[in-house]
Amino acid sequence: MSAVTETTAAGNSERARGTSGWAYALPALLLLLIFFVVPVVGLLLRSVLEPEPGLGNYATLFGSSTYLRIFLNTFMVSAVVTALSVVIGFPVAWMLAIMPSRWASVVFAILLLSMWTNLLARTYAWMVLLQRTGVINKTLMNLGLIDQPLALVNNLVGVTIGMTYIMLPFVILPLRGVIKAIDPAILQAASLCGATRWQCLTRVLIPLALPGVAAGALMVFVMSLGYFVTPALLGGTANMMLAEMIAQFVQSLVNWGMGGAAAFVLLVVTLCIYGIQLRLFGAGRLGQGA
Amino acid sequence: MTTPFLQIRNIRKAYGDVTAVNDVTLDIAQGEFMTFLGPSGSGKSTTLYILAGLQNPTSGDILLDGRTLLDTPPHKRNIGMVFQRYTLFPHLSVGENIAFPLRVRRKPKAEVDAAVRRALKLVRLEGFEDRMPAKMSGGQQQRVALARALAYDPPVLLMDEPLSALDKKLREEIQYEIRRIHQETGVTILYVTHDQEEALRLSDRIAVFSKGVIDQVGTGTELYANPATRFVAEFIGDSDFLKGRIEATDGKSADIRIGEHLILPAVSVHGSARPGNEAAVMLRPERLTLSSTPVSTAGSLAATVKDVTFLGNNTHVLTETATQEVLSVRLPFGHEAAGSLRPGQPVWVSWDSSSAHAFCT
Amino acid sequence: MLLDFDRLGAWKWVLVTITALVSLFLLLPIVFIAALSFGNSQWLIFPPPGWTLRWYRDLFADPRWLEAAWTSARIAIAVTVLSVVLGLFASLALTRGNFRGREVLRAFFVTPMILPVVVLAVALYAFFLKIGLNGTFLGFILAHLVLALPFSVISISNALEGFDKSIEDAAILCGASPWEARFRVTLPAISHGLFAAAIFSFLVSWDEVVVAIFMASPTLQTLPVKIWTTLRQDLTPVIAAASTLLVLFTIALMLLAALVRKGMKK
Repeated sequence: MSAVTETTAAGNSERARGTSGWAYALPALLLLLIFFVVPVVGLLLRSVLEPEPGLGNYATLFGSSTYLRIFLNTFMVSAVVTALSVVIGFPVAWMLAIMPSRWASVVFAILLLSMWTNLLARTYAWMVLLQRTGVINKTLMNLGLIDQPLALVNNLVGVTIGMTYIMLPFVILPLRGVIKAIDPAILQAASLCGATRWQCLTRVLIPLALPGVAAGALMVFVMSLGYFVTPALLGGTANMMLAEMIAQFVQSLVNWGMGGAAAFVLLVVTLCIYGIQLRLFGAGRLGQGA
Repeated sequence: MTTPFLQIRNIRKAYGDVTAVNDVTLDIAQGEFMTFLGPSGSGKSTTLYILAGLQNPTSGDILLDGRTLLDTPPHKRNIGMVFQRYTLFPHLSVGENIAFPLRVRRKPKAEVDAAVRRALKLVRLEGFEDRMPAKMSGGQQQRVALARALAYDPPVLLMDEPLSALDKKLREEIQYEIRRIHQETGVTILYVTHDQEEALRLSDRIAVFSKGVIDQVGTGTELYANPATRFVAEFIGDSDFLKGRIEATDGKSADIRIGEHLILPAVSVHGSARPGNEAAVMLRPERLTLSSTPVSTAGSLAATVKDVTFLGNNTHVLTETATQEVLSVRLPFGHEAAGSLRPGQPVWVSWDSSSAHAFCT
Repeated sequence: MLLDFDRLGAWKWVLVTITALVSLFLLLPIVFIAALSFGNSQWLIFPPPGWTLRWYRDLFADPRWLEAAWTSARIAIAVTVLSVVLGLFASLALTRGNFRGREVLRAFFVTPMILPVVVLAVALYAFFLKIGLNGTFLGFILAHLVLALPFSVISISNALEGFDKSIEDAAILCGASPWEARFRVTLPAISHGLFAAAIFSFLVSWDEVVVAIFMASPTLQTLPVKIWTTLRQDLTPVIAAASTLLVLFTIALMLLAALVRKGMKK
């Protein structure tokens, strides 16, 4: 960390702040201004202007139990997905950091393959696997664990499984980096100080990995809040989530005011969580999603 | 006869085909300051890690008070260790770091607090309890690591090149601290270093490691005055070597021929000494003197001055003998010959034959 | 100890088992889809009663699938080229420029990546309806470009920051013009960053669903949109065939990336 700060500081002091060089950014800047800022601001404006000026849309959004249930669903599913991803992802990230490189590269390749495979292909796979006559239900019934097929799809269980599948790599990859950066000698020292394995884990390794856990968890949570495809396909119409609701307002109901208002709520929550992340860990980690 | 406090018995450690430690045996007395000295890769750190339980020996045994340590996992060995790298827990304050070993032993709070205070006092860092490790200098961090390793009164303290990351001045300062702490606590210390000066300054005894074996164990004076192998002679102090051949020997000392005319009588000899064998004769540069006429027929050699360097408390003179062997000579400041030496000047190099040692291969 | 794989003791096997299970969990759906795409069961029964290539025949017999794939490819390639070029210039400004607000600009360029895509999709949909770009090729490119640009900027900026500018200065002192130095020295040195930017940009566009669902028209739809609309009707094995081909395409891209990385190390 300190080396990074030093080089940046040195780089900054060398050149005085002026105006040169900014023109190179102009094409990208114009693109984003016209096709990103203008549309988003336009949408948000419509939330307070349509059908009539005022905060009526927001009052409806927060006053109706239907919409509140959707918010609640979204937060609940996101929280469960985040918790599952962290709990399942931690041991994998840990092993990935210390395994013999031959094995680690196999796990790594699987992670990348899963991450890079088309989102719809992956979601389709889960739709097939989780259906009433799907492999999972049939296996469980053959094993005698259940008599009736479980309802695993068209409900929040399906959404949670599908989303956890998609989010796992986003926890594992950054967390692996954080664990790899921990000096093994610190764990050796803890052991010699008399700490059992369990004490080493709970008192040293987990606390030291916590920044990575928190960064990964926040990222997964915020991505889950706005996720559209997987909830729409695995959740069914009865268990709508926030992103789907926004799409419905616009596509089916052609209610731009409500759509804009719901989008604004999602936007504000997202930015708040990223704000927390920036506060906690600085800007360095934002780029890790790439 | 009483059992030695800590016994290292025939320890061997192999990684595949590479043998890192080969049959190391050593007894250490209670309260002793023992240093493992050697270059990197000589097996000294591996031996220390085996003592700590952080590595398992391929064969051999470690006994503490007559009982084997090998079936005790590291966290139950009750051994303290300070590492080469700073291993303070970065998420805990100085006080919490020192309290850690006592907390995991579930000691009552009053006892923990008292031990932390005592340990901080020992390393002279009172008032630093709440400081975070990242906000401290390297020297301070290693002192905290020392306090943490001593907080639970371990019978043995292991130190693996703890000062190698520090600059020279700071290193010397902390060396004295370590000596003081050793005297105050009476803890048995095993100290690994590659720095001979550090070893000489700190230790009661030094074990010199080379290529996985211990070449010699002894006090600094013993190692310097009577090196058992050429490696020890080269590693501790400066040394000059002359090629020679054994004329006659009784196994302990030998008459050695150097060049055509010179025979050194009764040089103490190490290794397989048989008449006719080649031998390397070791001389200490500071035991050599220069003069314009030979001092004695048994201990003088004609040479030419190659280079003269003034180094403050001594003058370093590089000479070359008629057989193209290089001898470096250290003359103390004020030596009568030092001022007038010029390169190219013929001189006689003389020595006291009791200071010479011969090594056969 | 906990960070030394060989000294984990009994924990090692518990942790390795968890890792193996998670790896299977990540891999299995992909393998199942590939297996089912060759099964002859319309209802995707596993294990399939028999094997067939029928779904692949159906896939290639339907010109709408091929058309959608072709549309996706054209859009993705256009996005890739524009994203790398725009990203390169933006990165030069971010790493070499000295102007007020540079850090703000850097954060701004990354924003489209962290915002929920659905917000951008709805916003662009509204905007494009107004200015008549909805359902057009250009509209697709612009929308995907907004999404791809952050990846490009991050990859290229990272590469530029890792490149010592004094090497470029040395080239200029050797007599090269500033632009010649950039082309002959800097660009080759950051080519891994440019390549990463290209791969990411391509994949962002190629796999993008949400914006595309809103933007698509009956006459212009991308491959993900075609899969989406088919999925909404039923779970036909044709999608399994299409998915399998997409997975193969992904593997090919990964291998290409690995090869290029290896080649660059030499």
